Amino acid sequence: MFSVLKERVGEILLPGDEFCCGPQDTLPLTDSGKAGRLVAGPGLRRSGDRLLVSRSGVLRHKEPNKFWIESQQRRYVPAKGETVIGIVTTKSGDVFKVDIGGSELASLSFLAFEGATKRNRPNVQVGDLLLAQLVVANKDMEPELVCIDGSGRANGMGVLGTGGLLIKVSLGLVRRLLAPRSDLRADLEQLFPCELTVGMNGRVWVRAGAVQQTLVLANLLQSCDAMTAAQRQQLFRRLQQGAF
Amino acid sequence: MFALDDLSLVMSTKSWRLEVLLCITLICRYYYQPKETLCSVEKIALSLESTTGEKLCSVEDCNQGTGVYQRHGYIYSSLAGYVMRKNEGEELPVISVVRETEALLLPDVGAIVTCKVTGINSRFAKVHILYVGSTPLKDRFRGTIRKEDVRESEKDKVDIYKSFRPGDIVLAKVISLGDVQSTYLLTTAENELGVVVAHSEAGAQMIPISWREMQCPQTNAKEFRKVARVQPEYLEA
Repeated sequence: MFSVLKERVGEILLPGDEFCCGPQDTLPLTDSGKAGRLVAGPGLRRSGDRLLVSRSGVLRHKEPNKFWIESQQRRYVPAKGETVIGIVTTKSGDVFKVDIGGSELASLSFLAFEGATKRNRPNVQVGDLLLAQLVVANKDMEPELVCIDGSGRANGMGVLGTGGLLIKVSLGLVRRLLAPRSDLRADLEQLFPCELTVGMNGRVWVRAGAVQQTLVLANLLQSCDAMTAAQRQQLFRRLQQGAF
Repeated sequence: MFALDDLSLVMSTKSWRLEVLLCITLICRYYYQPKETLCSVEKIALSLESTTGEKLCSVEDCNQGTGVYQRHGYIYSSLAGYVMRKNEGEELPVISVVRETEALLLPDVGAIVTCKVTGINSRFAKVHILYVGSTPLKDRFRGTIRKEDVRESEKDKVDIYKSFRPGDIVLAKVISLGDVQSTYLLTTAENELGVVVAHSEAGAQMIPISWREMQCPQTNAKEFRKVARVQPEYLEA
């Protein structure tokens, strides 16, 4: 079954596709991978002695035994540990309600900021943009955010400044921007100096020197979503010749 | 045969339901002649809206039972149902009003109840109480299990998500009846209390492994719950 899966790496699979396997071949995601056993990642689910595909996308493989489905979607499902950009909607008591693009508003305690105490409240207003990390995110409970990391430091999280623009992109583009060696980021660096804050919920905040450059960057990112690498490089080249 | 004073009392209200009920009772009374006066179903006592109940008798005649209250030396009914007068030998008879001829079972403080988790929060879990002891309830009462009542040890480090999930069946004990607006307060802080039946994320019923873990037989995934140690005599093969 290993070989059957390996053949189809790089192919587009649809929900409902099955692979038959013996009961000792698969492991749930919570256990560590051992050689000879298969780890079913996001989009793949084990049911009895079969492996079912539950999302449409491309089958990817990472040595030695990890398989997963890479899909392009725009709707964000909150997951623990992810850094997201949220918009503050209400302030009730000592809790902010933040919209992160999921099915429920997330709650953010006002004590979860760097240097915040009961007397020293953070300066956050309704409508502010925040970069925060999810600590509780599952289908049964309301998501919870914090703006500090484990040791109590902000680490870049908190309220985002003024003068920038927030755009909504697909989750695939976000992953491409955040990948360790991203060509997209390398191309963007060569254009003009800018500040980019990427949230895993499909929201990107851009700020460049001038307003016009900010707008150009925002439009670029929106269109890069649906382009191949070659088309994108062509667009960037045209832009560089036109602008400079 | 038909007591005119009974009729006049009820006809004073304009509800057609009263008239129907009264006719049925009078017909029943005509056919049913009680032999013993130990427990007789006499007449329908109705309490109107919430301000006044029907006056049953004075305090000197009978003792107060359930479903009645005492005011200014008279006993009034607080429920709509049947009046039951029980003669207990030398003492005064006990008068009580019940909805049906059997008594309704309510969860009392210290009772073991079986409930189903409906929702969780980081501070508590909301449940619906289904059974009191081994008797099923007709209505579903609401209960709450607070974070500090989940287990005995390390009460502040409890994670509700690792103890209960929506849809679990839980054995709990009532610690408080609560007031008008709040729900029953329950606790699972004992070895024999906690989750008895739970379904995994794949949908299969899970098997308990230890007091805090259960395993799904289909995917072999382990999930955290606060598991009850059910006594062997209650387990059926």
